[in-house]
Amino acid sequence: MTLADMSHHRPSLYTQDARTKARNAAEKRFRIYGITAVTLGVLALIVLLTSVLGSGLGSFRQTMMTLPVTLDAAVLDKKGNRNPDEMAKATTITYGKVLAQALEAVVAEKGLAPEGMKAKEIGSLISKEAPAALRDMVLANPDLIGTTIEFNVLANGRIDGFFKGRVTMESAALDSNVSPAQLELAQALRDAGMLRLAFNWAFITNPDASELRPESAGLGVAILGSAYMMLIVLALALPIGVAASIYLEEFAPQNRFTDLIEVNIANLAAVPSIVFGILGLAVFINYAGLPQSSPLVGGLVLTLMTLPTIIIATRAALKAVPPSIKDAALGVGASKMQTIFHHLLPLALPGILTGTIIGLAQALGETAPLLLIGMVAFVKEYPAAPPEGFLDPAAALPVQVYNFTQRSDPAFIERASGAIIVLLVFLLAMNILAVLLRRRFERRW
Amino acid sequence: MNDMRLTERTVNANDIKIAARKVQVFYGTTHAIKDVDVDILDKTVTAFIGPSGCGKSTFLRCINRMNDTIDICRVEGDILLDGEDIYNKKVDPVQLRARVGMVFQKPNPFPKSIYDNVAYGPKIHGQVKNKAELDEVVEASLRKAALWNEVKDRLDAPGTGLSGGQQQRLCIARAVATSPEVLLMDEPCSALDPIATAQVEELIDELRENFSVVIVTHSMQQAARVSQRTAFFHLGNLVEFGETGQIFTNPRDPRTESYITGRIG
Repeated sequence: MTLADMSHHRPSLYTQDARTKARNAAEKRFRIYGITAVTLGVLALIVLLTSVLGSGLGSFRQTMMTLPVTLDAAVLDKKGNRNPDEMAKATTITYGKVLAQALEAVVAEKGLAPEGMKAKEIGSLISKEAPAALRDMVLANPDLIGTTIEFNVLANGRIDGFFKGRVTMESAALDSNVSPAQLELAQALRDAGMLRLAFNWAFITNPDASELRPESAGLGVAILGSAYMMLIVLALALPIGVAASIYLEEFAPQNRFTDLIEVNIANLAAVPSIVFGILGLAVFINYAGLPQSSPLVGGLVLTLMTLPTIIIATRAALKAVPPSIKDAALGVGASKMQTIFHHLLPLALPGILTGTIIGLAQALGETAPLLLIGMVAFVKEYPAAPPEGFLDPAAALPVQVYNFTQRSDPAFIERASGAIIVLLVFLLAMNILAVLLRRRFERRW
Repeated sequence: MNDMRLTERTVNANDIKIAARKVQVFYGTTHAIKDVDVDILDKTVTAFIGPSGCGKSTFLRCINRMNDTIDICRVEGDILLDGEDIYNKKVDPVQLRARVGMVFQKPNPFPKSIYDNVAYGPKIHGQVKNKAELDEVVEASLRKAALWNEVKDRLDAPGTGLSGGQQQRLCIARAVATSPEVLLMDEPCSALDPIATAQVEELIDELRENFSVVIVTHSMQQAARVSQRTAFFHLGNLVEFGETGQIFTNPRDPRTESYITGRIG
């Protein structure tokens, strides 16, 4: 029998049989499902980012005016002794008048005011926050009295909204807080170079502001509060979590009790976060008497929430260390502790760090439990430096987002999205850090 | 190392280093080792042979109490090292393992430098006073493991970057660095090619001058080449134990004969 004869009995390799075709078709379908899923995911991300960036980026630019302000001693320091305690008698109302006069003077000098506009209307272009800022500045440095300074004032939130497209002439006509005439004046001031949109550091550094002055609301207290809480979570959850994992993984006997603990830790990771908030309220505030709204309580609650994540990640990382390394260490006579600390932990470190940072990122974005322990409060004072500051009232970034969305002035929508951007930047930075640490410490064996 | 002279091979030293009496090992309810009595002599290579699952590795791991790490493992009977029961409650396995070193089947260097791999044992046991002494120990150990010339210029390179055979010799260097009295080797050549195997075997023969070596092997040729005494395990029993020449040329038990001629196993 020749080779050619044999080929008659077998199907050719050049044509696919039915089975192969079906298998290939199944694979092709699966690829299409996969690509569809990935595309949907990417699309969702793009929609999310465009909507957040679109409405939030505006909060990083703010409308400001630079005014020559004459600080008249006769008005601001009636006794003339430059004693800050005495000068404090001049209230923000007085300073408000000083600022309003300064703006009126500029407007009058350049003849920018539309016809029939009242002086009061001109003055209210200025943010209600500006007099307090000027007063703080003068009280801190009484020598300014008697001089004329170039002072940067924030424009009213409605004026700011006009330049960002939120407020229009039509809406102003229906709005009791702003008039079309004021908008015209603002436009004229801008054309004259007196008014501009500038990068808004105050959004990052300022504390929150009230309903009436969205232009001055910032994230300073929230960022500090979140940073304090992350410090507490890191300082508590990492050592406790790693110690618990090492004990469970390497020392604990395998029995029903440890099985029970294991199941419970896995379940804790799935407990809704608000439950931790209720626990924190009951234990840390009502029972232990710690102050409400404080980063310490927030940090403790978030620690409880983060612990399961860290324990699960650490145990997985310890399990992933090849047993041959453990054998090697025990074989040369290392004790259990030495084996763990010299060999297992260094090899598990990338996994532990990744788990920790993911846990921290989760904690950073957590809102619900913080609402219950009072971190939703309006806090205008910066918390002090740690450790005392851990007990001062503070806000938290995600709760600040929630707070902003609860306010009626549409200017706060922009602020809320801006706060989300800040939160996302922090989360992104933490994730990048996790990747970098992983790369740095990863070792092959 | 000449197979032809197997029968002439005799044991020079007759001091008993390790004496095992009526050793039983249980994994849970499985009776893995039954009534094993073995005397391991000083400065001698003893080979454990037998089919897979016969308990030879399990027994080897009893000698430095590596089985302690397995929760369900239970050891009964006596294993005496220089007349002292190593399973006595007062014995700390850590101290025991400094005297009874081990080399594993798969080369398992630490993911550290070559130097640190060898230096680790002496460091944790406080056997050296300063860096100079440590350097000496590292060099001596690497020389004993016939690795010094290959790695002396790159002691800072990771031990995991060496070839398989070099890694195994590094593990041997690491094991001898603590100057153990007994060296246990669990199929040290099973992951190596013939050339690396030959090097390690040569090394085992040299190590005999200083240590008592116990080697578990699947290769009967290897047992015949490197050992002076051979123990044949089968189904958890020690079937026959004697001088290597006698076991391979004139086995007393029919099971031994079947195994070495390839009929069982």
